[in-house]
Amino acid sequence: MGSALAGLLTMSVARAAKAAVQTVFVSSSAPKGYDPTRHKWLMCIDDNKCIGCGLCAEACKKENGVPEGPYYRTWIERYIIPKPKPGSDQTRGEAIVDSPDGGMHGFPEPTLPKDRIEHAFFVPKLCNLCENPPCVQACPVGATFRAPDGAVLVDPKYCIGCAFCIQACPYGSRFLNPVTKTAEKCTLCYHRITRGLKPACVEICPAEARIFGDLENLHADDPIQKFYEKNRVQVLKPYLGTEPRVLYAGLDKEVR
Amino acid sequence: MRRFKLPPQILRLVLLALAIVGSYLVARSFLVPPSFGEYGWYRGDALNLIASRDPVFAGKKACDECHSDILHNLAADAHKTLSCEACHGVCREHCNNPDILPDKTTGSHCIRCHEANLARPAWLKQIVVKDHYGPKCTECHLPHQPNKSP
Repeated sequence: MGSALAGLLTMSVARAAKAAVQTVFVSSSAPKGYDPTRHKWLMCIDDNKCIGCGLCAEACKKENGVPEGPYYRTWIERYIIPKPKPGSDQTRGEAIVDSPDGGMHGFPEPTLPKDRIEHAFFVPKLCNLCENPPCVQACPVGATFRAPDGAVLVDPKYCIGCAFCIQACPYGSRFLNPVTKTAEKCTLCYHRITRGLKPACVEICPAEARIFGDLENLHADDPIQKFYEKNRVQVLKPYLGTEPRVLYAGLDKEVR
Repeated sequence: MRRFKLPPQILRLVLLALAIVGSYLVARSFLVPPSFGEYGWYRGDALNLIASRDPVFAGKKACDECHSDILHNLAADAHKTLSCEACHGVCREHCNNPDILPDKTTGSHCIRCHEANLARPAWLKQIVVKDHYGPKCTECHLPHQPNKSP
């Protein structure tokens, strides 16, 4: 009986001390002047326009301080669809996919001769901003999460570097930062969009293949509004149930 | 009838259970970070932390403040979708101190986008560099107004 009472007493003292500390040190959680519940960010890709210059991958690395090496928050893949083998009744050959250094420095000449190639195109890839993200589900500590404004983010201070989320993402959007040993991924340039700027890749894309907007604050000339009106869209890997939100216009069935 | 008396074993077990639960609650109140659970099962402070990084690229609007004449010419021609920093590199230092010049682009920067590649869409004008007229693009082309000649 005495021990229980002592336990209760220490608990209330500890709680009071903690509350006092919190009022001194804790600051408002969201960035100043930014309310995450009032925005809904979305990036769409118009795949008919991508020219594979790799400026987006390079800009992302510069903007976000991604370390040197095969670590990409966004990257470009090239799909080469060869003609079917003569005599076979397939309509297309087996797709050849490559992404040399994420597409950052352009792509080399394809190894197939030109007359054997049916069709070729580039596909930029990034975090798909899933509604039902497997990476968030996999995180054992709650370091990765879906913010109220639609961005899927990683808390760099809380991540323990277990890499469960990296294994869980079916799109390969995540990597382990070798310097900080935490998981990293496309944050939609959160530090830019909360200040009214566009993500670096969207800013730099010369072909307007990346379209970015706020679904909660659409205006008449909004590029996202025009994208919806003009295009028939698809998503990557819809059969997995992750409900990805990034929409692709002009995607081919070979894109995985 | 004898008055009901709680057996001491039951009392000890209940107190032990309360002590275990109590110590867990105390430990939890220390270990869980302050903003956890504010928006969901994560630290609310993380949003601020992630957003507190300084932007690197300045953006096309920033260039418009001083170079609106170039942007006006750019908007009337085929390169209107380009951002200034796509060719001139990061210009943030230049925005803060105009004496620090951004990359001027050497004139062979153009082949990054315009080199012929069969994966590139047909609407993009492409050239086979080794068969084209000369190595320096700006001899015949104006970068800001590509359909006009110098």
